[in-house]
Amino acid sequence: MEPIEIGLWVSGFMLVAVLLGMRVAFAAGTAGLVGLTWIFWNKFGYDPSRFLKAVTIAVKTAGQVPHAKVSSQALSLIPTFILIGYLAYYAGLTKALFEAAKRWVAWLPGGLAVATIFATAGFAAVSGASVATAAVFARIAIPEMLKIGYDKRFAAGVVAAGGTLASMIPPSAILVIYAIIVEQDVGKLLLAGFVPGMFSAVVYAILIMGLALVIPSFGPRVTGFTWKQRFMAIPPAFPIFFVVFIIIVFIYNPFGGDAWGTPTEGGALGAFVVFLMAVYRGMRWTEFKDALLETAKLSAMIFTIIWGVLIYVRFLGFADLPHAFSNWITGLEQSPMLTLIYILLAYAVLGMFMDAIGMLLLTLPVVYPAVMALNGGEFVSAADSAFGMSGPMCAIWFGILVVKMAEFCLITPPIGLNCFVVAGVRPDLSVQDVFRGVTPFFVADAVTIGLLIAFPWIVLWLPSMA
Amino acid sequence: TEWNVSVWGKRRAFTEHIEKLNELITAKTNGGFTLNISYGGLSNAKENLDGISIGAFEMAQICAGYHADKNPTLTVLELPFIGVNNLAEEVAVSNAVYKHPAAVKDLERWNAMLLMPSPMPQYNLVGIGEPRDTLEKMNGMRVRATGGIGQAFKTVGAVPTSVTATEAYNAMESGVVDSVAFAQHAHLAYRTVDIGTWWSSNLNPGTVNCPVVMNKDAYEALSDAERDALNSSIDESIAHYIAVYGEVYKKWDTVLAEKGVTTVTYAPEEIAKFKAAAADPIRDEWIAKMDGQGIPGQELYDTVMSALEAARK
Amino acid sequence: MAGSAAVLEDGSTLSRLDVGLHRIEKILALISGLAVFALMVLAVISVGGRNAFNAPLPGYVDWIEQAMPLIAFLGIAYTQRDGGHIRMDILVGKLQGRALWLAELVTAVFTLILMLLLVWGTWEHFARSFDFGSPLWSRDSTIDIGLPLWPSKLLAPVAFAILSVRMLLQIWGYARAVALGLSEPVAVPLVMSAAAQAAEEAEHVSSLDKGDN
Ligand code: NA
Ligand code: NA
Repeated sequence: MEPIEIGLWVSGFMLVAVLLGMRVAFAAGTAGLVGLTWIFWNKFGYDPSRFLKAVTIAVKTAGQVPHAKVSSQALSLIPTFILIGYLAYYAGLTKALFEAAKRWVAWLPGGLAVATIFATAGFAAVSGASVATAAVFARIAIPEMLKIGYDKRFAAGVVAAGGTLASMIPPSAILVIYAIIVEQDVGKLLLAGFVPGMFSAVVYAILIMGLALVIPSFGPRVTGFTWKQRFMAIPPAFPIFFVVFIIIVFIYNPFGGDAWGTPTEGGALGAFVVFLMAVYRGMRWTEFKDALLETAKLSAMIFTIIWGVLIYVRFLGFADLPHAFSNWITGLEQSPMLTLIYILLAYAVLGMFMDAIGMLLLTLPVVYPAVMALNGGEFVSAADSAFGMSGPMCAIWFGILVVKMAEFCLITPPIGLNCFVVAGVRPDLSVQDVFRGVTPFFVADAVTIGLLIAFPWIVLWLPSMA
Repeated sequence: TEWNVSVWGKRRAFTEHIEKLNELITAKTNGGFTLNISYGGLSNAKENLDGISIGAFEMAQICAGYHADKNPTLTVLELPFIGVNNLAEEVAVSNAVYKHPAAVKDLERWNAMLLMPSPMPQYNLVGIGEPRDTLEKMNGMRVRATGGIGQAFKTVGAVPTSVTATEAYNAMESGVVDSVAFAQHAHLAYRTVDIGTWWSSNLNPGTVNCPVVMNKDAYEALSDAERDALNSSIDESIAHYIAVYGEVYKKWDTVLAEKGVTTVTYAPEEIAKFKAAAADPIRDEWIAKMDGQGIPGQELYDTVMSALEAARK
Repeated sequence: MAGSAAVLEDGSTLSRLDVGLHRIEKILALISGLAVFALMVLAVISVGGRNAFNAPLPGYVDWIEQAMPLIAFLGIAYTQRDGGHIRMDILVGKLQGRALWLAELVTAVFTLILMLLLVWGTWEHFARSFDFGSPLWSRDSTIDIGLPLWPSKLLAPVAFAILSVRMLLQIWGYARAVALGLSEPVAVPLVMSAAAQAAEEAEHVSSLDKGDN
């Protein structure tokens, strides 16, 4: 049998295992191990006496993956950014931010939901992990929305969708991981995420206001805050702006001369400042311990998927599937734009069954070079390119599109991490409830992605000035 | 026979000898023996020796300095200021060490055999700010340099700073490091030359040694014709590699001119001073360390020196 | 909290083993969390040392790479205990009684087989980097400052072995539920039943009534 055929069979097997309720990480790992065994035994001509040898090589090959792949500086951002989310919660920063957002915008139709979106967007400027953002706001925003009569599914959906913003608005673990996989300038990519992230937030807010105007039973507006109350709410939210300020100053150094460090270090430094604030605000060992345990749990969940998926990716490498796929994509005789749209649609489908980081690790090594080739190569000028932008700009634009797809992946059923996390915080909500509540936001995300494709300058004007 | 070959990154000058090898042996055996070269699909760079040992693939490229304890004998080739001046000399010293019984035994622990080197030029600095054109000015310089080269810079007061190759550009842009030591192709690939202002053209502190290795059982299982095809193609593959690398040198000079990067040429006295500070102490320390493990360090070092002398005749 | 479900306890041997193992799992998870914290502190020390004293932390990247396996592996069984590793439960969620436990049993058995094989595979990976005859027992080291890699490679088989024990307990729990036709077995994560869910919702609403609004 051809290795590629084996690749397709095993991929089918993995899908069935996932559908039957096997944990995604273990389904991917099992598929990878079965596939590797198959590949090696195929190489031995299916000689029964060499089956055990094939198993041995497969197991040893798979056994390298977990340690080799998680020992990575790039991935170290994920747990750090998760921890910062919990620490900010215990420091009362998120609560203050939500309160301020509430007083300023909750008079709008769907006010509290709009406030939640803007609060998550603000928090996204400190947090680089979507799951942690969703987990924290599930505790703060959902109770308040339920109190004034929101549908609980929709309230959960708002938080799950708002949480995704943390991956686009800098800092962002996913953007950094993209930059490192494709070897592009991290600083520029992070900068590029700012406008599309805010843009996404506005699209979410418009959607909520529209729904609130159409559906009479929607949660009521919250009015009656005086201007004094509004301004009073700002000082408690200062610490969060202070942390944002520190990160920006650290990375971009507006005072001239060299910056003080890399974006990676900026994120860690921000986390440390938040930790100090939490201690100052009276965080005790029990709370700190809870923050650590919850960080450990989310990290274990994400990293298990990462190495599980990468065992499967290793098998795909031996089956030579990436190579075949890349040849196929670049050989298609249709407009590059249509191919790009197909690729993004494929991401939407794949994202249903994958977690965001696993999906990027699985696809980018193949898809990124193919997309760059579609545009005319790494060093193409804007004039000669297919998408009307130079090679480096295309790398940024595609990165933002992919990260938006990754955010989408966090809320699409059946495997949408943010929805799982929100349901985990709220025992009264099942995962299916959250998925139902988040559905309207699919429309918002589709609109955002469409606009980012149609008007690339939304993404590119900021980084092109830098 | 089809061999899987694990390399990493993209196809580039650094992998051209393997591509050429495939071309040659495929032609010589009429397609009976081919290499299936995978760029990153089969293993991480640092786990290539593990993959060879397991038998997951038959051939791979490794870099000694990525995992010194996996291949202590090969790190003799990464000592600072050995005095290698060009790629041909690098090939000569590498081959001499690869044939040494201690190195053969070292690689046998991984069920591996050394096939051929991937000769790399001396690492040199691309830096930002005022050119550090004397040793004195290197005092306090934060430099991205690993292994023996990093140690060497430390002896003149520079501060070796860990950043990954992929983060090198950002690290330099953000002032985390003042300079980065790479071979030319890596300065181009990781774009350090895009923001650098100076280039240490003749400092030549040392390099990284990256052989191509094979699984021993797979090699022994080849037919005589296949083995002949393989062995007889090595020299031509290396010659091709050196020719391709010549293009990199040419491109390098153009890029330096285009980007307005200052070429720093160190005075012979400066280099002699650097060598005196770095070469001897680090070598002595290395030999002592090898002796502690029962590896004939002095002998390996002498092998390098006599090969170098022979290559210059 | 990430997708956690209830795990019931009683005085049976199985339940006591479950609780005992959970204690160990929790300690390991806490170590994992502390490693995350250490990572953050390490970054601050590195940045501070570099900017204030021109003395960057030697081997900063090497240390990060050493810490990552602690974070990635040590919490794995703790997370599995209450069903925290994500999965698609649309189909399984429709099952009830014996059919449900049987489905859970099958995927748990496959998971156990996978983990046992990976204990073997990751142990081999560790063993290749370990050598009693070498200094620091090291046959594989980090790139910058030459830290031995075997301790961090050893974490994988250790954590996977503990997960295998966890899987054994869950298999026992599910098998018992299949055999005895239990509705609420101990020592396994329970997908909340519709009734229990409704009850909890009612409780939530009433607690809101009593609340401060
Ligand atoms: Na963010
Ligand atoms: Na999804």
